[in-house]
Amino acid sequence: MRAMAIAVIAGLLAGGLATAPPAPAQEHRHESMEAASPRGDSIYALSASLVDQRGRPVGLDVFRGHPVLISMFYATCPDACPLLIADLQRIESELSPRIRADLRIVLVSLDPWRDTPEALLALARARHVDESRWRLLRAPEDTVREIAALLGIKYRRLPDGNFNHSSVITLLSPDGVIVARDEAIGGPHEALLRGLRVARSTPSR
Amino acid sequence: MRHLALVTLALVLAGAGVPAASPGGMARVGPGVLRLVYSPAPGVTTADVGAFALDRLPVTNADFLSFVSHQAGWRRDRVGRVFADDGYLAHWAGPMELGPDARPDQPVTHVSWFAAKAYCSAQGKRLPTEIEWEFAAAAGDAGPDGAAEPGFRERILSWYSRPATSELPSVGQGQPNFWGIHDLHGLAWEWVLDYNSTLVSGDSRSGKSADRLPFCGTGAFTAGDNEDYASFMRLAFRSSLEARYTTRSLGFRCAGDTEAASR
Amino acid sequence: MAPRSILTGLLGMVALVMGVGLLLVSTQEASSQSQTPAKPAAAVTAQAGAPIEAVLTSAPEVPPPITRRDPAKVVVHLEVREVNLAISDGVEYTFWTFGGQVPGKFIRVRQGDTVEFHLQNHQDNKMPHNIDLHAVTGPGGGATSSFTAPGHESQFTFKALNPGLYVYHCATAPVGMHIANGMYGLILVEPPQGLSKVDREFYVMQGDFYTVGSYREKGMQPFDMQKAIDERATYVLFNGSEGALVGDKALKAKLGDRIRIFVGNGGPNLVSSFHVIGEIFDRVYYEGGSRYQENVQTTLIPAGGSAIVEFKAEVPGTYVIVDHSIFRTFNKGALGMLKVDGPENKLVYSGKEVDADYISEKAGPQSTAIASAASAAEKGTLDIKTQIAAGESLFKGTCSVCHQPHGNGLPNVFPPLAKSDFLMANKQRSIEVVLKGLTGPVTVNGKQFNSVMPPMSQLRDDEIANILTYVRNTWGNQGEQVSTAEVTATRSKIKLPPGAAH
Repeated sequence: MRAMAIAVIAGLLAGGLATAPPAPAQEHRHESMEAASPRGDSIYALSASLVDQRGRPVGLDVFRGHPVLISMFYATCPDACPLLIADLQRIESELSPRIRADLRIVLVSLDPWRDTPEALLALARARHVDESRWRLLRAPEDTVREIAALLGIKYRRLPDGNFNHSSVITLLSPDGVIVARDEAIGGPHEALLRGLRVARSTPSR
Repeated sequence: MRHLALVTLALVLAGAGVPAASPGGMARVGPGVLRLVYSPAPGVTTADVGAFALDRLPVTNADFLSFVSHQAGWRRDRVGRVFADDGYLAHWAGPMELGPDARPDQPVTHVSWFAAKAYCSAQGKRLPTEIEWEFAAAAGDAGPDGAAEPGFRERILSWYSRPATSELPSVGQGQPNFWGIHDLHGLAWEWVLDYNSTLVSGDSRSGKSADRLPFCGTGAFTAGDNEDYASFMRLAFRSSLEARYTTRSLGFRCAGDTEAASR
Repeated sequence: MAPRSILTGLLGMVALVMGVGLLLVSTQEASSQSQTPAKPAAAVTAQAGAPIEAVLTSAPEVPPPITRRDPAKVVVHLEVREVNLAISDGVEYTFWTFGGQVPGKFIRVRQGDTVEFHLQNHQDNKMPHNIDLHAVTGPGGGATSSFTAPGHESQFTFKALNPGLYVYHCATAPVGMHIANGMYGLILVEPPQGLSKVDREFYVMQGDFYTVGSYREKGMQPFDMQKAIDERATYVLFNGSEGALVGDKALKAKLGDRIRIFVGNGGPNLVSSFHVIGEIFDRVYYEGGSRYQENVQTTLIPAGGSAIVEFKAEVPGTYVIVDHSIFRTFNKGALGMLKVDGPENKLVYSGKEVDADYISEKAGPQSTAIASAASAAEKGTLDIKTQIAAGESLFKGTCSVCHQPHGNGLPNVFPPLAKSDFLMANKQRSIEVVLKGLTGPVTVNGKQFNSVMPPMSQLRDDEIANILTYVRNTWGNQGEQVSTAEVTATRSKIKLPPGAAH
């Protein structure tokens, strides 16, 4: 157990080192591009500034080193989003305790206008999510568009402030590489479960 | 004093939407109302468009080469695979070299959404939204709504029915449209900021209302103007894209706030 | 213990030891053999587990029949190309194709196969594309899972649950335009027992095309959306171009071949009345399904549908393949050919047997009698004998069809002219009958007739005069001349019935 903890910490450190910016480039947004994780397939190559449900500033790679299920939603969504959260909780319950302990879940809000950290915290409490392993994140409008682009999620903000959006759950490896995607809300999510049982926390190479 | 008067005059003229004499730079587009080919919510068939600035010309190979030389992270041999696919700048002879298949004054294609976005950011600009782009593209020669002009839609449709094998022409030839914008039609498809905002399933015949579960939302996706096939085709094209995709016929131009239009 | 039994026992033990020893040795050999490189395997038959790459063909070729007895995993790679090709001589069109040609590649699988479908959109294409296969049971027929941008590839897998001949087509908006530009083809799902054996199989697919220019207007022709909406086709073609199945590209077969044609109709709009001139389809699997009709001349193929036609080539020659909405064949290009080679079979079709003179009422080269009469009339020396001779010639060409060559008529059908009381009773009336026709009951020589004689007003006045002079003076009729002037006068006085020629 301790060995694993050491391994995880080592992994996090290694990952953290890998993202340290190199010589400054002209456009700060792309510092992380040059310092990109050695695996060019990782979505953590995107430098993004988000805030979680407790107001803590985090990057997209808040759970680097762990397998991550990531999706996008908004707190006032009436139809699919409650189902989305229920689905994620159901996936959790179908995993062995060891794998579940390793798993992290990230939900990025499409709606920075209404989904303040306070609103996200209230939702987290109402749905009884395990805050030690779940983060509900708020990002600026432009970052939301970029994260959706990386995850292949389509969305449109409507005149009344609600959203049309596709519901996609994506499984990321500990390095942030997309391993599996599932677009069927309410389905058995076979591909995700299979991927999770194979993925392990690993230090970044 | 005279300088001030001239500057003021220039600003006033720019604000009035008088197109600048030289190609290049940006022009002021709008404000106005766009007739939508889809209905994002019941009863909603139009969208208001605030005034904005739009590049008169598409971004060219020369423009993009200059960008890549300042931002080495966007070279085709260095860019991350999540940001651009294998076709990125494939038509250039080398990562920093255009070569004979990429003339400097052709619109740059084989670029991904991330690359286009980064280019515009570097200029202090942004990509146009879908509504802004469609509004600018709806204009004919004489007014903001080209549909009333004979042959407007047919010309656009005939471009879509020609394969992409012929060489791309240089930018800026031919007449600009009513807003002073060149080449919105007939050269290349163009990226927009919210390219991924159209919730069409892969099957375009799926009836009028979007499936509620895969597409969470309250709106029904109904066709507004059934006759605007060109817009339909652009919608279909955009919905086939992922942000990292590059294609031979897909380029971009940048937009900005109206103050930029005087440049 | 007797010494023999001990010996036997010893021998038995030796044998046992030797046997075991041999066994050990051979085992060692076997194991040492397994260390050496394996001998070449015997021919391996495809197992259900090993995927098979589908053989795809361009029309009019068809992939070979499926011979395996079990379902398999079949992998299909189909590439979309947007290409400029000739739609007619000197007329170019931008086609959007599955595989580089119209119609798209023919896909042949077996019921129960699991098909792994790869749709590739060539990087030079401008448009996104997808595919809907009517053989697929699933959302959009595959269209939802195959929406592909240029320079990319999509993959989905389906199980072929039903046998039959199915259309596939692109279903990207605007769907009608993608289909109208040629994005369709056929996929055959064979039943487990396969199809009956034939000697030749062909792939033909009809489609309607809409161009801005008119039929055969030269040059590069763009697609015309309004014509497509109005269903005003410019071209109706087999296999995507006017010359596709004509001349040296005609389908070819040998005398005696049992022929099967897989026929599809991509539309987008028009239904086909499929017919092969000179042939009767022995079997038609109507709509590409499992049942067949027999002895069919012309079969309907819906837009987005198919049929399988089978017939035997009994007589050599060229058979013309048409859409029997016939103006499409003659004015829009829906014409193909099947050439059957072999010795003639006169019992089935003799070819021309008699080449005889046939003088119609408007005879081309005038017979001598008619010529003489004409010249005599001009000179004013027309006598009854000349008229009779001319009238006889004209009668043969026109009136004898009903009234018979010797004026006997047909009992209960057409009245006689020979010794006819009705005819001879009234000269004026006989002129009127020829001009106006006659319907309703008449009694001739005591017999009732109730038939229709059509007006013969198309005959010229002098021709009528000559005919009447002939009939009123032949077969026992004792009459007189009828002059041209009398006919002219009668014509001006009477009212011709509607539809009669003037």
